[in-house]
Amino acid sequence: MSVDVDRIVVPLARVKITSDALHKLSALFTLFMLIALFAFGNAAFLSVGNGLTVLLQTSVIGLLGIGMTLVIVTGGIDLSVGSVLALSGTVAGLAVKAGMPVPLGMSMGIVVGALCGAVNGIVVTKMRITPFVATLGMMLIARGTALQITGAAPISQLGEAFGKLGNGSLFRVIGMGSNGLPKVIFPGIPYPAILLVVVAVTVAFMLRRRSIGRHIYATGSNEEAARLSGVAVDRTKLAAYVMSGALAGLAGIVLMSRLVTAQPNEGVMYELDAIAAAVIGGSSLMGGVGTVSGTMIGAFIIGVLRNGLNMAGVSAFIQQIIIGFVVIMAVYVDQLRSRR
Amino acid sequence: MNAQVKESRPLVEMIDIQKSFGGVHAVENVSVDLFPGEVVGVLGHNGAGKSCLMRILSGAMAPNAGRIRMRGEDVRFVSPQDARRQGVETIYQTLALADHLDAPSNLFLGRELKTRWGNLDDKRMMVEARRVLHRLNPNFKNLSDPVSRLSGGQRQVIAIARAIYFNVKVLIMDEPTAALGPAETAMVADLIRQLRSEGIGIFLISHDIHDVFDLCDRIVVMNRGRNVGGYHIEQVTKDDVLSLIIKGEMPDGWRPRNAASALQPGLNSH
Ligand SMILES: Nc1ncnc2c1ncn2[C@@H]1O[C@H](COP(=O)(O)OP(=O)(O)OP(=O)(O)O)[C@@H](O)[C@H]1O
Ligand SMILES: [Mg+2]
Repeated sequence: MSVDVDRIVVPLARVKITSDALHKLSALFTLFMLIALFAFGNAAFLSVGNGLTVLLQTSVIGLLGIGMTLVIVTGGIDLSVGSVLALSGTVAGLAVKAGMPVPLGMSMGIVVGALCGAVNGIVVTKMRITPFVATLGMMLIARGTALQITGAAPISQLGEAFGKLGNGSLFRVIGMGSNGLPKVIFPGIPYPAILLVVVAVTVAFMLRRRSIGRHIYATGSNEEAARLSGVAVDRTKLAAYVMSGALAGLAGIVLMSRLVTAQPNEGVMYELDAIAAAVIGGSSLMGGVGTVSGTMIGAFIIGVLRNGLNMAGVSAFIQQIIIGFVVIMAVYVDQLRSRR
Repeated sequence: MNAQVKESRPLVEMIDIQKSFGGVHAVENVSVDLFPGEVVGVLGHNGAGKSCLMRILSGAMAPNAGRIRMRGEDVRFVSPQDARRQGVETIYQTLALADHLDAPSNLFLGRELKTRWGNLDDKRMMVEARRVLHRLNPNFKNLSDPVSRLSGGQRQVIAIARAIYFNVKVLIMDEPTAALGPAETAMVADLIRQLRSEGIGIFLISHDIHDVFDLCDRIVVMNRGRNVGGYHIEQVTKDDVLSLIIKGEMPDGWRPRNAASALQPGLNSH
């Protein structure tokens, strides 16, 4: 008798576990459908060159999305990442322009991003301002600062070294073409893509295997329970905002490096792409739920959608409309899932 | 039991504790104490201030005034961690579980077991959780489900397991059996007796008068935030206690039932 029960219960338990992965699976399915659709419409979509373009575009959304995921899982939101990206990029640009070595200047950009995140975290935890308002404020402050310190003008001629991170790649093979000119045999793996993978793996490991990760989930799941259980809730939230800020800074230097120009106007509305990536990937804005892998899928869906629609000649306005629908559908599906 | 109680000094003394929310006096000048190996029932109607008083002892809430002493020394609990470090463990009325995490993660939340490298040792936490949960409920399943999917009773078992797993000296149980079936309730009663025999002091908040008479050595009754009486359980009848809970005073012409134990009221002097 009890053996029979066990036999029934065990497979059922397995089914239940996979239902959590269902959302991720359906998102992955959507991604492949999109790729197939665009490839069918335009053969050039599947070209190596275009693949790299998507990868580069996605790496910026992906970096922002990973930070956003951390904050969303704690039950917060970070509206400032687009502006922090711009501030970090311009600080790095100015520093390099002023003669600082490129690695140092770029590190400075990331530090500025982390500082913005720290301010967000302190405003949220110590001043008890809701994350929406706190980071909305930072969104304006960071953007205003970026425009102020640059006089609203892009900083160009930053030198070849500045463009390396955004445009270089690993294992690039260049041979001699038949006409005697250099020819790219293998374009290599772009540095931004490598960076994205490293960050994604590191953060995913942190969320699953370190106590800070467990505390991030606990805080977003039930803040009072986490506090009563001895979780340093404020410190956990602060850490999430700092990481989100630092990753926005990293995304900023990647983007500016790719443009080889520090653009104070870059990254407007990127926070919305980052939120969309996290939500499409299964993060719940109620907190407590979200994974890096899901967000990566979400980031690729947005990247592929943008790129494919561009290639199909769909206007930027229509693109916005479509992505808006996708976000609403993703959240709707998520609600259906949790209502069960 | 009583002999042992008389000899040792109090494990916990809460002295003139006061807590108000705006105009609401949740706890007014309440003093209670607890000896090792003693179960003290904290009784009172809904909103009497029982949970507030206990949350102050568990470090979850700061009092407006009053002192707490443990083994004769003043302590200040600014956070639940402070209290836990002194061996004060709490089963909260709200259970305080993180819904999206599974049972082992909840059991070890804030005190995770780690590997040599400082990573979470989920395997060991699962093994330990299974052991302690099965001690309370041999049929406990779904250990890797988020606890939001578990029944009220299972959730309560996790909260109890979390309080007794670590080195507990003072256990605060805020209606620990509210969601439990009869078998689990009996298990918890056994657990309380066992912990008491190990010298652990227990504050038990309960609305079940039978359980209280079954398990408690002493009772403290609260009424509108005030302590309206502390008695040895042999001194009082169920009707006496109900009168205290409802009216805040003993019936007219009340005399202690057992004269011998009436000679040592309060237990504060030695
Ligand atoms: N966080 C809070 N903010 C405001 N008022 C509170 C808070 N916590 C408790 N109170 C008030 O303090 C009083 C005592 O509440 P408490 O929870 O201690 O009652 P209780 O004796 O535990 O009741 P029950 O038997 O229903 O659990 C109530 O009037 C309650 O409304
Ligand atoms: Mg209560």
